[in-house]
Amino acid sequence: MAGSESRKPFSLGRMWSYAALLSATAIIAFPIYWMIITSLKTSRDIYRTPALWPSRITFDNYIKLFTEKHFLEPVLNSLLVATTVTVISVIISSFAAYSMIRFRYRFRGLFGKLILFAYLTPTSLLFIPISILMARLGLGNSLQGLILVYLSFSLPLSTWLLQGYFRSVPRELEEQGMIDGHSRLGALVRIVLPLSAPGIAAISIFTFTGAWNELLLALVLVTSESSRTAPLALNYLITSDVLPWGPLMAGAVISSVPLMILFFVAQRFMVQGMTAGSVKG
Amino acid sequence: MEISAAPSGTARSRTRRWMTGARRTQLFAYALVLPVVALIIGLVAYPFFFALWVAFTDRVVGGGGNWIGLDNFRYLAKTAIFTAAIRNTIIIVLATDILKFAIGLSLALLVTQRIPARGFFRSFLMLPWAMPAFVAFLTWRVLYQPIGGGLNLILTETGLYPHVIDWLGQRSTAMPSVIAASVWRGFPFWFISILAALQSIPKDLYEAARVDGANAWERFKMVTFPGIRHVVLITTLLSSIWTANAFEHVWLLTQGGPSDATMVFPVLAYFGMQTQRIGEAAAVSVAMLPIMAILVIIVTSAMQRDDD
Repeated sequence: MAGSESRKPFSLGRMWSYAALLSATAIIAFPIYWMIITSLKTSRDIYRTPALWPSRITFDNYIKLFTEKHFLEPVLNSLLVATTVTVISVIISSFAAYSMIRFRYRFRGLFGKLILFAYLTPTSLLFIPISILMARLGLGNSLQGLILVYLSFSLPLSTWLLQGYFRSVPRELEEQGMIDGHSRLGALVRIVLPLSAPGIAAISIFTFTGAWNELLLALVLVTSESSRTAPLALNYLITSDVLPWGPLMAGAVISSVPLMILFFVAQRFMVQGMTAGSVKG
Repeated sequence: MEISAAPSGTARSRTRRWMTGARRTQLFAYALVLPVVALIIGLVAYPFFFALWVAFTDRVVGGGGNWIGLDNFRYLAKTAIFTAAIRNTIIIVLATDILKFAIGLSLALLVTQRIPARGFFRSFLMLPWAMPAFVAFLTWRVLYQPIGGGLNLILTETGLYPHVIDWLGQRSTAMPSVIAASVWRGFPFWFISILAALQSIPKDLYEAARVDGANAWERFKMVTFPGIRHVVLITTLLSSIWTANAFEHVWLLTQGGPSDATMVFPVLAYFGMQTQRIGEAAAVSVAMLPIMAILVIIVTSAMQRDDD
């Protein structure tokens, strides 16, 4: 199939292909366009005279979002939570993945199954008991509690993916490193991890975005305004009586555009990691 | 505890020589894996069984809870909103799976052709997946608005449909709207998975089929489909599990409404928790477990087969 049309540059089949791809592109682009354009519209252009193009570009919504809606604190909270989760997750999941592929011990198979089941256990089943558990531990309504919970969600996938990457590092390289005077841990840090850099990049991005995007647990665990994360702050914007579409879309742009840029830069790693481990959508 | 642990793949004679260090090596191996295993047991496995137990009690917030057997489930089965949640969850999962598969496969086939700018299309078609789910559904919420929503504007300005539709506000359009937004956000996962599978099919197979006189459909049936079957199976299972347990799409678009037209399990469980009746709320999410368990067992064996 592939390439069968390549000798006929103006074939009918190819025109259809282009038409289909262009309409798919338009359907993907329009909501993104609408998000950005709504964030730059005046209230008047949003509610009174709606149009596909704004009459005037304004940054009022962004200003309002940060002054009236105090969006800076949630963004900083989200950054703090997502960064902490990513750093801890990368470290301890690479330890676990290394242990599970390099050593043979009892329960190793069981741990492997446990990790896979944890990956597939849905949040919707866990959020009620987790909220009780966190309250009992005194970690309810705190960023530390959120960090702990997000860690437990990201570790299964990270460990699972890293095992695949570590397996492809030749044992000989590692043994050579140990002969050269590295300890086993030194060999892991100096030899195995650098050779698995694409994997580390992939799981870092997945973990960061996973923690950045999470809403349900934040909704259940966090009650005070000062501990809100970005998704939570935006969620509370729509549950209020008046729906401030302008500031809401400004918040949506701020929460998503950095991630979409990151995606374009790191696309290769992410696709590789995603198809290897089938990442939670 | 087993003492003869040694680095895997080491010959037996060397194991003997390393015997003295074996115990230390084993402790080291356990120490490395411990943080992950402890966190998973504490925050996934334990809550999992706790949820199972709570679902069979009359626990409320702040209370202990007594074992009441199947009473929560009996009560739920009689409520209209619970049956609506079952029906809606099944509808959403089936409809989105079918649409994401059809769209993901068609687009993947289109970009495997040798056409200009296919690199651009490949990256661009993945964009919705890079967008956080909560952002995607908030944006669709705005798009669906009767006043100031982009969708109605397109329809009225192009003259396709002259009247303004309250997409999320009426029973007949709420569910299709939720499904459309979910498909928009979720199809790239299928697209990427199927694309990767297509690219791993050896080109000579197509040549051979062509030499044998197979037409396009026969080539698809005999070469393409067998090549992507396994990936499609895993993608379908994973996507079904995630969609059935997704919260954001319904929560941010409709909160289950109008009345119960788009109510699904996770949102109902969340509302249940808001009413403080923890036992009942847990029963809502546990009710899904038998179906989930079957899906999880199939996908686990499929993924572990991949892994080995």
